Amino acid sequence: MDAVAEQKYDYGVVRWFTVMATVYLVVGASAGVYIASELAWPFLNFDLPYITFGRLRPLHTNAVIFAFGGCALMATAFYTVQRTCATRLWSNKLAWFTFGGWNLIIVAAVITLPLGINQSKEYAELEWPIDIAIAVVWVSYLFNFIMTIHQRKTSHIYVSNWFFLGMMVMITYLHVVNSLAIPVGMFKSYSLFSGVQDAMIQWWWGHNAVGFYLTAGFLGIMYYFVPKQAGRPIYSYRLSVIHFWALMFGYVWLGAHHLHYTALPDWTTSLGAAVSIAMIIPSWGGAVNGMMTLSGAWDKLRTDYVLRFLIMSLAFYAMSTFEGPIMSIKTVNALSHYTDWTVGHVHSGALGWVAMVAIGAIYHMMTRIFHVELWSTKLVNAHFWTATIGTVVYIIAMWVSGLMQGLMWRAYDEYGTLAYTFAESVEAMHPYYAMRAIGGMIFLFGALLMLINILMTVMKASSESSVQRARTAVATA
Amino acid sequence: MSSLIDYFHTDWEAMTTTDWVGTILTVVTFLLMVGLYLYVLRPKNRDKFESHKNIPLDDD
Repeated sequence: MDAVAEQKYDYGVVRWFTVMATVYLVVGASAGVYIASELAWPFLNFDLPYITFGRLRPLHTNAVIFAFGGCALMATAFYTVQRTCATRLWSNKLAWFTFGGWNLIIVAAVITLPLGINQSKEYAELEWPIDIAIAVVWVSYLFNFIMTIHQRKTSHIYVSNWFFLGMMVMITYLHVVNSLAIPVGMFKSYSLFSGVQDAMIQWWWGHNAVGFYLTAGFLGIMYYFVPKQAGRPIYSYRLSVIHFWALMFGYVWLGAHHLHYTALPDWTTSLGAAVSIAMIIPSWGGAVNGMMTLSGAWDKLRTDYVLRFLIMSLAFYAMSTFEGPIMSIKTVNALSHYTDWTVGHVHSGALGWVAMVAIGAIYHMMTRIFHVELWSTKLVNAHFWTATIGTVVYIIAMWVSGLMQGLMWRAYDEYGTLAYTFAESVEAMHPYYAMRAIGGMIFLFGALLMLINILMTVMKASSESSVQRARTAVATA
Repeated sequence: MSSLIDYFHTDWEAMTTTDWVGTILTVVTFLLMVGLYLYVLRPKNRDKFESHKNIPLDDD
């Protein structure tokens, strides 16, 4: 029991964000498994518009990215900034406002998206009133974080805080610009941009949602929790500084690689691809930096299941940050674009990197913020294997499916006519869609094990009054 | 593209104000990045940077 930390820091809001992140992981993954099943077995639509793929898919992406990912980022940022700056949050009340506001936004998404209220901008589907709420709540998160750093008791700002801060600043900028729209009703608006400019703004946002929200933010998690869980300092602090600045400078250029062979000027997409290739260097530098932290202590992976999640996440990070630049090369993109290869690539990053590093951080925090051991470490091990196997099954299915799609769409006979109809390519995908749904189910099963473990740990803490005892122990010390 | 010279040919006359602002910002940022890399990787500064690596381990 760390009574000193309980008294010294504001852990209440961190506890709630941590538990809700786990709940949303199950909700988001469930929606994902359902829509994956709909693609394999279309009768699951049941002719109900509210649960069709087109309406549930944005619900899935919003749930996993903004509900699960957002709560994980807010929990870890508020937890680590206090500990690395040796100070409480600047405003505990503002942090609770962030928690309440973010969860209300998630509820609004759960209601509006199945009703078909949608801006049709990928990863930015929510309509304008909710967009304004997101901006307000996000800025409250950013402001509280900056002010907490400002009142720090340490001289140096640790690198994880730089990654979190970079993410917060850039997402504010990206979200506001991409969401600029002219409202024509309470639940209807039109983007301020049109045509090719709209496409460019959309993918400037879209890829930077990946680059800053799902990469920089989660690298902030990695740079604190990998050394902490391993009990060893990060391999190279200098490399982490270079990693940070190269990431900040490089990522903003990449969005154009989503628009190869479109009306966008050719030089723009070529530049996007060139910088994408260059990004392999800082990305791999960061991945190696995280993994080499275990140098000389690899045996810890035998017994430390939480560390396994963190290190496996870095393996997937390295893999997906190599695959992405390769897919951005025009020749490769001509084959991969619009196919399931992209879906596989996204999920190797989302399930393998983002989810696993966040899961490792959540398990790590649980014992420290609730002041009890996890209810079951065996379940953590079972979760690790189901998450890993589920992810691998999913991405292999999508790689095979994507390559087949790309090759079938471009095949033609000696007369120059297409060798396959589109419907034939859809039919050929069926086994892989079933395999993808099964991979997702395995991953979801692991997430359910985690939720049970987290809830039982909370109940254990409640029955032992561990949080209360930690507070009292300090008060009487 | 027949030659590298053609590939890197730029019609400077056609550059707009926006083009110049973007070009200058990019080049300046790039030079700052080079300067940062040299500063961070300079052997003399190694201990100064690496002294911060224990922060997460010392926060208990």
